[in-house]
Amino acid sequence: MRFLLNLLLMLVVALAIGFGLSWYALSDGRLFGAAQIGPWIAWPRAGSPSPDPYTRAYLTRSGALQLGQGEGMQFVATADSDGQRLDRACRYRIDGTTPTATFWTLVPTAADGSDIARPDGPSGFHSSRVARANDGSVQLYVSKTLAPLNWLEITGDGPFQLVLTLYDTTLFTGAGNGDNSLPSITREAC
Amino acid sequence: MVRTALYLAAGLLLGLLIHIVVILTLPLLAANNVATRLATIAKLNTPVLLPAIKPGDANPLKLDPDLAYAVCRLDLKGGPGEVTGTLPLSFWSVAVYDTAGTVLYSTTNRDGIGQALDLGIFDAAQTRLLAEQKIDIEAGLLIVESQTDDVFVVVRLAPEQPAMRDRYAAQLGKLACRNLKT
Repeated sequence: MRFLLNLLLMLVVALAIGFGLSWYALSDGRLFGAAQIGPWIAWPRAGSPSPDPYTRAYLTRSGALQLGQGEGMQFVATADSDGQRLDRACRYRIDGTTPTATFWTLVPTAADGSDIARPDGPSGFHSSRVARANDGSVQLYVSKTLAPLNWLEITGDGPFQLVLTLYDTTLFTGAGNGDNSLPSITREAC
Repeated sequence: MVRTALYLAAGLLLGLLIHIVVILTLPLLAANNVATRLATIAKLNTPVLLPAIKPGDANPLKLDPDLAYAVCRLDLKGGPGEVTGTLPLSFWSVAVYDTAGTVLYSTTNRDGIGQALDLGIFDAAQTRLLAEQKIDIEAGLLIVESQTDDVFVVVRLAPEQPAMRDRYAAQLGKLACRNLKT
């Protein structure tokens, strides 16, 4: 009886660690190849000709047509800068500067990648179509309710994510001005 | 107690083994990866425009709704492939994917290419022939070596304004995607 209990315990531990660690590696991934800057997470080797096994498994799981290394870099934020999950019931302020890039887009999506912006409006922000402060920084608002400055109206309920794509960026290349900061995401009201 | 600890340690090791097996086999076992999705859309030697992503639309390839996309498939068994054409003076990029969905090569028009896209894709044997000058190519062809014969080429084009999207997408549709005559 004791043998069977020990065997059962071993199997439970093995399955929990085996599948739990795999799920964590492919969803969060910070310890396994993903890079995090504030609330933003990217897989820098996703567009390389020889991705590591974790990146390869992540790409399979996501099913995304990833950008090549020479094209740009995509960051996804599922939580704000305080670590709270992004919720469509809240208003978020996205504040700051981006690394050197030809241009960037910021699109709010559901977990399956579908755009959740208002159907008859723009699908997201584009770096050349936003108002900026004198220092070049941007202040963007994403919410269902009216907000000042650059505002993108979203629809629906439940969690969402922000996808920031930097095209032709010098990030992670060692070139550029060395400023690799990304905008913060602040929950303002719910 | 010691025996239970040993079983726990064995469970830990077995768990790590399961983890490694899951990570390594997932790309091989997945039936609906990016390559299979591209295979259902792309046509051999013909650029296919991907539909624009509207708010609320399903977006399985997780495309950027601001960009226009064209994809074409090339079979290098029939000779080296080429993708050529003239694109608007706006940002565009090109990426070559293998059937596993890995990006073999990518570049943008900011790398000094300008408006003309002239991409040649060669497999290992064709690259060797090219080095031996047994294949004639046009000067200025950007040469990419592929380890596989079946490749997808994706061109991304960023319209300056949403109103220009249809016109830009039409330019993508005019790209030539074919096997080189050698």
